Order: sequence, then C-alpha cells, then structure tokens
Amino acid sequence: MNSLHLDGVAVYQQQHCLLQALDLTLYPGEALTVLGESGSGKSLLAHAIMGTLPAGLRARGQLRQGSQTWPLADAANRRALWGQQLAILPQEPATALDPTMRVLPQVAEGWRGEAGSAQAEARGQLARLGLQAAQRHYPHQLSGGMAQRVAFAAATLGGAGLLLADEPSKGLDNRACATLAQLLQQHLADGRCLLTITHDIALARTLGGQVLVMRGGEVVEHGPASRVLQQPQHPYTQQLLAAEPPAWPAIAHPAPGDWLLQGRSLAKAYGSQALFRNVDIDIAAGERVALLADSGAGKSTLGNILLGLTRADHGSVRYRDGLPRTAWQKLYQDPVQAFAPHISLHTALHDVLQHCGQPLASLETLLHRLRLSPGLLARKPSQVSGGELQRLALIRTLLLQPALLFADEPTSRLDPLTQQDTVHCLLDELARIGCALLLVTHDHALAGKTTSRQLRL
Amino acid sequence: MAAITQHGLARVLGQRLIQALVVSLLVATLCFVLVQQLPGDMAFRIAAGRYGYDYVDAAAADAVRQELGLAQPAWQQFAHWLQQLAHGQLGQSLVTGGAVLEEIGHHLGATLQLAAASVALALGLGLPLGLASGLRPGGWADRLTLLASVALRALPPFLLGLMLMLGLSVQLGWVPAAGHGEDGNLLLPALTLGLGLSGLTARIVRDSVLAVVQSDYYRFALTKGLSPWRAFWRHGLRNIGVTVVAYAGVQLVLLIEGVVVVESLFAWPGIGHALVHAVFWRDVPMIQGCTLLLAWLFVLLNTLTDLLCLAIDPRGPAEP
Repeated sequence: MNSLHLDGVAVYQQQHCLLQALDLTLYPGEALTVLGESGSGKSLLAHAIMGTLPAGLRARGQLRQGSQTWPLADAANRRALWGQQLAILPQEPATALDPTMRVLPQVAEGWRGEAGSAQAEARGQLARLGLQAAQRHYPHQLSGGMAQRVAFAAATLGGAGLLLADEPSKGLDNRACATLAQLLQQHLADGRCLLTITHDIALARTLGGQVLVMRGGEVVEHGPASRVLQQPQHPYTQQLLAAEPPAWPAIAHPAPGDWLLQGRSLAKAYGSQALFRNVDIDIAAGERVALLADSGAGKSTLGNILLGLTRADHGSVRYRDGLPRTAWQKLYQDPVQAFAPHISLHTALHDVLQHCGQPLASLETLLHRLRLSPGLLARKPSQVSGGELQRLALIRTLLLQPALLFADEPTSRLDPLTQQDTVHCLLDELARIGCALLLVTHDHALAGKTTSRQLRL
Repeated sequence: MAAITQHGLARVLGQRLIQALVVSLLVATLCFVLVQQLPGDMAFRIAAGRYGYDYVDAAAADAVRQELGLAQPAWQQFAHWLQQLAHGQLGQSLVTGGAVLEEIGHHLGATLQLAAASVALALGLGLPLGLASGLRPGGWADRLTLLASVALRALPPFLLGLMLMLGLSVQLGWVPAAGHGEDGNLLLPALTLGLGLSGLTARIVRDSVLAVVQSDYYRFALTKGLSPWRAFWRHGLRNIGVTVVAYAGVQLVLLIEGVVVVESLFAWPGIGHALVHAVFWRDVPMIQGCTLLLAWLFVLLNTLTDLLCLAIDPRGPAEP
C-alpha cells in the first residue's frame, strides 16, 4: 500500500483553533505516535481523520493517498472508508464490545469482503490471536487483555490500511499493555500504517518510528522516536519524559510509627476461584505500603477487606483502638465514577464538611494547597479534568482526617504530568497529617518511588 | 449456556411463586381489615344490595347478619375465609350468592381485552415516538414527547377519561361515551389507559435509545464499517430491548391501578368495575377475590417481564 499524507489538518470550534494546522506522512510499516498530556488536542487529530468530531467542531485540511484526496471538512466522505481503509482501535476495549453479542459475530461483522467468508475469516483472525476458545464467550466473560485482542481483531478484520489507536493503553495493566504493543507491532509488520495517540511514553518507545509531541493543540517536537525520546530538544518534551515514574527523583518517606492495622491469614475466593490465601499484612501509622499485582489478582479486594468494605472468607483484621470509622478512607481509581454525576462539586464537598463539622476555611486551605481554584466547585464532576477531579477526591477524604488512605490505582487514568502532580500532592498532604498510605498499583516504578515497602500478591 | 438459562428460568419462576404467595396473603389480610373499617352497618348494606334500599328494614338486616355469620368475631370470619382459600375456593358472593370465582371469570375477559388494547396502543405510540426522540435528542419529536408524557402522567386517569369522553363522544359524537357490547365501546377506555402508558413508554425508549447510540460499542460498530441501519439492527435493538422491557414491565402496574378507575368511568364490565361495586355493597368475598386476582395479575406481569429479559439478555439474571 502507498503512504498516506495529511495536509494542513486543523480543528476549529467556531473561530477558536483547537488543533493547529499540521502536515503528516504515514509510511507503511512505520509507527507514528502522538504524545502529549490530556487536553492537548491529540485525540481531535484522530477524530478529524476519521470524520467523527463531536458536533460543533470543524476540521480543515485533507487526507491524500496516491491521486485520491478526501477533504476533511466534509466528515461524511470518509464513511465509505471505515473498516476498509480507516479503522479505529477503541479506548477501553471492555466497553467497546457489545455486551449482548458473542465474540465471533462481533469480529465477523468487521469483514468487508464477500459475506460468505466472514465467519471463516473471523475464526482465522481469532485463532491467530490465541482466542479460539473464546469465540462463543460474551464480553463479560473476557479478561482485560482478551477483550483488548478481540477489539483488535474486530477493528482490523476489514483490512484497513490505517489504524488509529486513541489512548489504547488507558486503564490496562502491564500484561495487557504488553499484549497491546505486540498487536500494534504485528499490524505494522503487515505493512500497514499506524497512528497511535497516547500519553504512555513506554508504549511510544516500544513502537518506535516517528514521534510527535503536542501541547495545547500545537506540535512542539517531531522526529524519530529514538532521538525525541533520548535527546528531547523542547523543554516540554523534557518535562514529559521526566514525569515518567522511573525518572522521578527519590522521595523521602516519613518513619513509620506505632502499629495501625493488622490483617492475619486473610483469604478470599469468588465462587470456586481463589484470589488469595493466608495473607498477613501489617501497616504502621504514617507508613507507605504498595500492593503490586496484575489485574484480577485481588489486590483491590484485599484493600477493601483491610478497610472493612468487603468481608474476608477467612482471617481477621485488627484496628488500633480509639480511631473513628471514618479514619479508614479510600481513593478510587476512576474519579469520575467516584462522584455523583449530577450533583455539583460544591454540594459534594460541603456535605462532607457538614458531616465532619469542619469549618469552611479548612476546605479553602486544602483547595489552595492543591492549587485548585474555588471556582471549580460550581461545576459538575464531568466538567473538570481528570487530574483536578482526582485532587478533589483527595480533598474529600482528607477532610475526614484519615489515619489510613487506601489509594486504588489513583493515577492509572491520568497522563504522566498529571500523575506526577497528583502523587506529589497526595504524599505531601498525607505527610502533613501523618496518614498512612496503602497504594494498589500495577506500575512497579510508581510503587518504588511512592512507597517505602512493596508487597506482591 | 443452556444450563445457565435453565438455572435462571428456575430461579425466576421460584422467586415469583413465593412472591405470589406472600402478596396473596398480604392483600387478603389488608382487604379484610380495610373492609371491617368501612363505616356503616355491613349487614344493612348487603341486604340493600339484595333487595333494594326501599325494602330493607332492621329485621331484614338481622336476617342477613344471622345467615352470613357477620356477628362472629372478625378473626373467625377471616380464618374461615383463609381456610376456603387454601382449598382453592374464593367463596360465595354475599349479594348474589353465586361463586366468586365464576363471577370474576365473567369479568376477567373484559379486563384482559381492555389491558391488551391499552398495551398495544401504548407500544404503538410509545415505541416510534421514543425512537424518534432518542435518535434526535433535542429535536421536535423529543421536546413534544417530553411535554406530552409529563402532561399525561400528571393527569389522573379519571380526568383524562372524562376529557376524552367530552371531546370524542359528547362533542364529536364519534364513539359511544360508555358501555360494552357495541362497536367502538373499547376505544375510549383503551385510549385513556394507553395514552397514559404511552407517554412513559416513549420516555423510557428514548433514554435507552440514547444510551445505546452514545455507547462505545455502538460507535465501534459504526467505525468497523457497519451501515447505520445494520449497526442499529445488530447492536441497537437488543440492547435497547433489555432496558425497555425491564422498565416498561415495572410500569405496567399503572395498568392495574388504571383499570379500576377507567372501567368504572366507562361502565366497562371488568374486574375493576366489579371491585367498585363489591365495595359499595360490602360484598367482602367479592372484594377479596377481585383484589387477589389483580395482585396475581401484577405478579404474572412481572414474571413475564423477567422471562422476556432472560430471553433477550444472554448474560442471565443479575446475581443477588
């Protein structure tokens, strides 16, 4: 297949430019990765190419292959290319699969050739991805990594020459991320084009090819991955690379105090599947402990058991006397789901203030310290960014003066810059009130930097 | 998968059977207690029901009291009735002396006919309107159905019924105002019940269509290259169906509440109509029979809803 050219791609909201005009060439077999923090306009690029921009946004420029051109301003002219020449690998594969349809027909319907051979093609594709046994499964019976492979099979069965992957590694654990990288490399090895949009620098490094760094709708750096990711020129790229947990400077941890919580010979099983058995865990006041494991290993469940949110099948948890029930708090993985969607943040936080009898001033101090504008409170949870919302969720728990904060993958949905910022806020605030941290994560580097002790399940 | 479905089926039917038993007991007890609380001399009212008000005196009322054992303590009467119920008998009407089961049997057909016509009307109106609203949120169909459904839900059925009667029958003379057995008798009561239900159905359909069309899997289906029509057929209908059946099934309770009022208003000889008359004549077994039947009808509707959900949704019933 020929290389694909994008000439002067730009996105506007009325007169306001959200994505500045840029020219790109996609070569078969070479990855192009767009890096940047959330809200840098990088997803708009994928939607502009696909013709799926939200209402109110206009694209400019054109897509060109050989002698054919498609002006991007007219979104409808690319619909005929969907599946055959343009395909999009969805974010969060688990929700991109129809919950009421078996795997095989969902993949088979992506076939754009002769209808009779769709089933056979889909079977072949699933077999190549090691999913023969899952053909008759429903999506809720798949693990995260399996769902990722099914979505990949469905997106690529039509044989599209250009695959757009928009934040494909969001919310995936290490193993699923590795699977994803393999799939994308395989796609490139077949001599096709790949445009990946991500904030995952590790993924960009694995894919190689060209890298494009974007900030505020503007390209700040563009070049071969080996150069951009090794010797970044632009200060923003340097900042982005320094925000990866392995590159963080060492963090000083407070010395642990008296014991706070003791879990003894804990066990939990769901149905016939045992998650863990005979787990002993001690946490001291002010201590920072990480629980490391792949998804599905029960690390969140163990945290919930320690907090008393889930009952263990065996074993017991002892808490230090004299602490109220609210001293054991949890910070959730997805802040959007941790807030009632139609209640303003003002109400959500003031209810907590009232409940714990704290003055308004303590909320204002916290907002100020976490660099959040009080004006944000007038909004609904969906109207603030993920990083801001996670910091607001942190404030919500801090108001209750916790002795232990169980943070369940608190930054897995945030980009590296926001992650670094959020984690530093978290650690500073916990140190200030002497609160212990139990961090559940699958990111070893993050666990190594943020905690003084790591436990593997 | 077959094993899961069978398991689900057994669970649904088992749960509903228990529910039917509990509901029967509660409804029967409540009914009995409430009837005992009604003002006035029960024997006098029953005698009036039998012989007419002009021919009733204290002696006639006493005779009725003796005959029906109304002087017995209330709990004895209730125990007696429960005993009968356990043998599958609903007793005799105090007024006509006929078996309650037979009397209700006459009425059940009329009620089912009315209910079926109303549901057909509600679906016929609600489904297309809901689809149109859901596919174009904020469009004219959406705004219109929102207004209509709020208005229809806010209007109590008797008021809506009266308005329809005045408009379609008195003013326009298209259909008879009330009655049974003539052509067009069914239209007004069915319209009254159906309109109320259709507004709600339309909103439920609208919300689930919108949720499905905006879902990740629906967008993914489109970008896989499926035509809009094929994406809707393959991924839209079933997912919309799951929510619509579950919610609409619960809302069918409106049908049971509406049947009593609407049947009385339009002199439609169904169970609701019979119930109102039975209350008027203090015909306790008849009241109990009618309410029990309506309660069973409610459990039956819920069971059908569950089974339909089970058939549509391959994931099986939610774990408790």
